[in-house]
Amino acid sequence: MKHILLILLAWLTVHQAGQETYVCKNVKVNLFSSAPIEDIEANSTNGVSVYNAGTGELEFSISIRSFHFPKALMEEHFNENYIESDKFPKATFKGKIQGHVDLTKDGTYPVTATGDFQVHGVTQIRTITGNLKVSGGVVTMTSEFMVKCADHHIDIPQIVFHHIAESIRIRVSATYTQLKNNNPSK
Amino acid sequence: MKRIIIAITLLTLVTGLKAQQTDTTKKAGRKMSSTDSLLNAMSPEDKHQDVIGAFKATRLILSQTTTTVKRNNLNFLVIHRFGDIGTPTGGGHTLIGLDAVSDVYIGFEYGLSDNLNVDFGRNTIGGLIEFGLKYAVLHQKMDDSSPIAITLFGEYGVRPYGSFTSYAARNSYLGQAIISRKFTSALSLQVSPIYVYSNTAIPDLFGNDKGFFALSGAVRYKFTKHMSLVVDYEHPFSSYRMDHKFPDPLGVGIEVETGGHVFTLNITNSRAVSEINSLSNTQSDYARGQFRLGFTISRMFDFNHHEQWKTSN
Repeated sequence: MKHILLILLAWLTVHQAGQETYVCKNVKVNLFSSAPIEDIEANSTNGVSVYNAGTGELEFSISIRSFHFPKALMEEHFNENYIESDKFPKATFKGKIQGHVDLTKDGTYPVTATGDFQVHGVTQIRTITGNLKVSGGVVTMTSEFMVKCADHHIDIPQIVFHHIAESIRIRVSATYTQLKNNNPSK
Repeated sequence: MKRIIIAITLLTLVTGLKAQQTDTTKKAGRKMSSTDSLLNAMSPEDKHQDVIGAFKATRLILSQTTTTVKRNNLNFLVIHRFGDIGTPTGGGHTLIGLDAVSDVYIGFEYGLSDNLNVDFGRNTIGGLIEFGLKYAVLHQKMDDSSPIAITLFGEYGVRPYGSFTSYAARNSYLGQAIISRKFTSALSLQVSPIYVYSNTAIPDLFGNDKGFFALSGAVRYKFTKHMSLVVDYEHPFSSYRMDHKFPDPLGVGIEVETGGHVFTLNITNSRAVSEINSLSNTQSDYARGQFRLGFTISRMFDFNHHEQWKTSN
């Protein structure tokens, strides 16, 4: 009976996840803004992403608090005054990659994903381009795009010292591992 | 039979949970896919993180806050207290006391680590020089695993001028535990039990307590992203001071932070900036017009360099 249950559970999970699912638990995101006094830059290294090669579904979720800045005050202002991370703790992208990419063949493929991009609680439908690289079975996705603060209702106060630009450059890089049948969860 | 029942119960539970999930996602107006649930399962929990920004500055009007200067940062402070507004020496004659200076504090606070600070400063009143150590023991957590933040502050004060019987007679000590909680993104509260001891009582009057406990309480209410209302109150539990009707120091102010700078414009009855002085010797009373304008300028210098950070990331 126990075995049957286990098999049943495993079967359920396999159905949920599937063979064509790729996951990444250490998505690297860099944000950069040129500013008059000093360029502002931050890195996060523990975003998560799921890519379903079968359906083309592509999702990202980055914790705002995981962004680290060179200066402590910048980090505090980013969280408190700009992104309000206590109210909006995550930035997400949920979309689909257009067309089909053959992950069995090595190479670099330009890809385009369209979907909901949510920052500061405001969702924008965005089409974002990037590159998908397959090398020896390892799938890596990279992308660079701009985000306008105004699009996400992020106010840039006039009195602050560290002025940020109206558009922020975002760089994303994720190296995926394939979810295996015999090791379905995590 | 028993096992079959357990299996059925488990199955119903699983399907039940699934149904609930679709319910909530339907409400959100979006279909929950397996990719979604996998992403959610993988997302790291944010809840155990520190609550940040309970107080913007290391000091309010009278008190220290639980906030510390971060590692390799230097905070430069200039704190002013002007003359009485409502007494005959105030008014138009001295432009509501702005011509008269009651006390000026110039000081530095440096972060040895994110949690440990060394402070140094000098006051006009008594020429008091202060050396302080501030240590953040406990941080408030977002999941309330720690509902409060606790910071310990200790300082040594010395009055280098004036006639004293010995060097030791010039010394004062202050120790306090600052306990704060950020209730909402706008409202923070703190209380701190304090102990002050001066080898020569301040003021040096017959029967005055050299050492006494005190309690301070402060509120910060953020009404815009960069402006807050702060109220700061202290009460010394000293029988001499209570018997002689020393008024409690009370300050009300507006705090403006501009990223790097924090300005506080305030009104207090306390003439002194240093807590050693304001707790020991506040004799000016709102009721007698003995209150004053004051300001605090706090400027943070960060010595962590961008280039260095780039290479380490």
